[in-house]
Amino acid sequence: MAELLQYTITGLAVGMVYALIALGFALIWKSSSVANLALGQLVLISSWFTYGMLVQAKFPFWIGLPLTILFAMFLGWAIERFTLRPLIAQPILALITVTLGIAYFLEGVATFVWPISVAALPRLFPQQPIHIGPAVVSQEYLWAAVISLVLFGALSLFFKYHKMGIAMRATADDQLAVQACAIPVTSVFSVSWIFACVVAAIGGVLVSSIGGITYGLVETGLKSFSVVILGGLDSFIGCMVAGPIIGLCENFGGGYLTPIIGPGIKDIIPFIIIIIVMIIKPYGLFGETRIERI
Amino acid sequence: MDLPSGTRNYDYATDMAVMRTKTHWAFFIGFLILLFTAPLYLGNYWLGVLNLIGITVISVTGLNILLGYCGQLSIGHAGFMAAGAYTSAILTATYHWPFLLGLLCAGLSAGIIGIIFGLPSVRVKGFYLAITTIAAQFIIIWVINHWTNVTGGFTGMNVPSASIFGFVFKSEASKYFLIMAVTALCIFFTKNLARTKVGRAFIAVRDNDLAAEVMGINLLYYKLLAFFIGCFLAGIAGSLYAHCYTGFLNGENFTLTDSILYIGMVIIGGLGTTIGPIFGVVVIRLLQQGITFMSPLVEKAIPALSSGFTLGLGPMVFGLVIILFLILEPRGLAHRWTLFKAAYRLWPFSY
Repeated sequence: MAELLQYTITGLAVGMVYALIALGFALIWKSSSVANLALGQLVLISSWFTYGMLVQAKFPFWIGLPLTILFAMFLGWAIERFTLRPLIAQPILALITVTLGIAYFLEGVATFVWPISVAALPRLFPQQPIHIGPAVVSQEYLWAAVISLVLFGALSLFFKYHKMGIAMRATADDQLAVQACAIPVTSVFSVSWIFACVVAAIGGVLVSSIGGITYGLVETGLKSFSVVILGGLDSFIGCMVAGPIIGLCENFGGGYLTPIIGPGIKDIIPFIIIIIVMIIKPYGLFGETRIERI
Repeated sequence: MDLPSGTRNYDYATDMAVMRTKTHWAFFIGFLILLFTAPLYLGNYWLGVLNLIGITVISVTGLNILLGYCGQLSIGHAGFMAAGAYTSAILTATYHWPFLLGLLCAGLSAGIIGIIFGLPSVRVKGFYLAITTIAAQFIIIWVINHWTNVTGGFTGMNVPSASIFGFVFKSEASKYFLIMAVTALCIFFTKNLARTKVGRAFIAVRDNDLAAEVMGINLLYYKLLAFFIGCFLAGIAGSLYAHCYTGFLNGENFTLTDSILYIGMVIIGGLGTTIGPIFGVVVIRLLQQGITFMSPLVEKAIPALSSGFTLGLGPMVFGLVIILFLILEPRGLAHRWTLFKAAYRLWPFSY
């Protein structure tokens, strides 16, 4: 019983972080219908940047973390401005592959600047584990879940009430009509990339403060694709529902299947879910089914 | 179209011929002679590089059928290569099958696995398919790493050298001949595939799959066929890689980064052309050689550089090259090559 509760709580918390990273994907997809496959590398490089600020440059948290956010904002702006804007109105294949190029480039930058392959962030959250019933959960997981939830709430409010948020939703709906209303579409794209990178960076910091910085962060980013796929590409609610589901599946699978199938099954479960969703319900739980016409 | 002046079509046979003029033939035969006499004037190191180029050309040609002709994105091509490589390695090492049979089975097994992971392509495309194939990559490598009693798991497995009817391909030159022969066959096959009914159906599916279906093209059949052929070639390449290049297999040999690099090669070369993959592979592999050659020198000259310079430079350069090509020349080097040929034919008149 304690085991079950333990897996549930960890799964939910990890799932919230996945959902947060996935939100970064959905943001871009919704506004500009660009599929950002560089998500994992964005998570990786912003985690390394945090490491550089907090450990190598020895800044205190209250300087280092805002600097990371600034860095992520700059990264998002630069990626949009220099690689995606020249490709506006190109076929979808070019848009996908250019993010692959970005992924490759960012990976190179990460190895170039931080050649060490494993590092740990300093403790961001208090150490003592919390006892919930019979289960023992380290506080980091709970903090991660809470921060993800708060960010999700803030973003939903932003989209609902802020002028830019409304413009972004409108752009997702119809780019031409939005242009006719004198909303600068390019700056909407810019803002959505900036938001996405910031969200990915926060997700990265949360994940790496729990598990350290390794190349596995790229895989974490890729795993959050399963969240996007399960939830539906263009749905924020979908992300927040699917994230915990994926987290739960991963932790239950990791906990109960490992003795049967062998170690490492945990890492592959999100990818198996992708294949299953793809075959049964390709547009996800909350995604809009696209009707194509010639 | 862009025929040299004085060359006209008098019947269908000449219209369909790949080689049109005597100059064509002369260049082609000259190139073949150069290719197959390379071991005479190249050292083992460069033969090894050429071997890797040949193997990669096979795999990227397969990806080009999938991506360039049929428009189905696959980011798991290294995974399919791995499937082929392990199939033939297990068949020859554990069950002592002859190499040629192993090679064929490698292609078949990779093709069948490709069909399985290509199944979602019938309902989804674009990004969804990209994610499915990424998942395929991870699942295949995971199975290889954890099916320890068959594949050797993380420690990997030794692979015997290729042998045909008792002749063992041990020296670098003999491997070179084997790889080049298979590569030439594959390129010949693709060149002709693109001109048949199947190739035209692929192009129709790529340009607009709904319209193609309305025209009477069976989408299920042709999309899965594209996956089969593309992954079949990847399997062949994987088998050659195992038997003729490394001699040792490990899951680390086939990473997601490789898959991305293959896509980069197709794009740099030019989507949907036969010559494109060759250009792309040669450029990227030579760039890799240049980087491994240059970076120690640069590091020595500027000692302030971090130790990650050598490791990080490659991915940075390749990523940049992919991005720049997509922005500046999305039709790839093959398009430049056609422009060059047209200009050469009309010279000294520009029109």
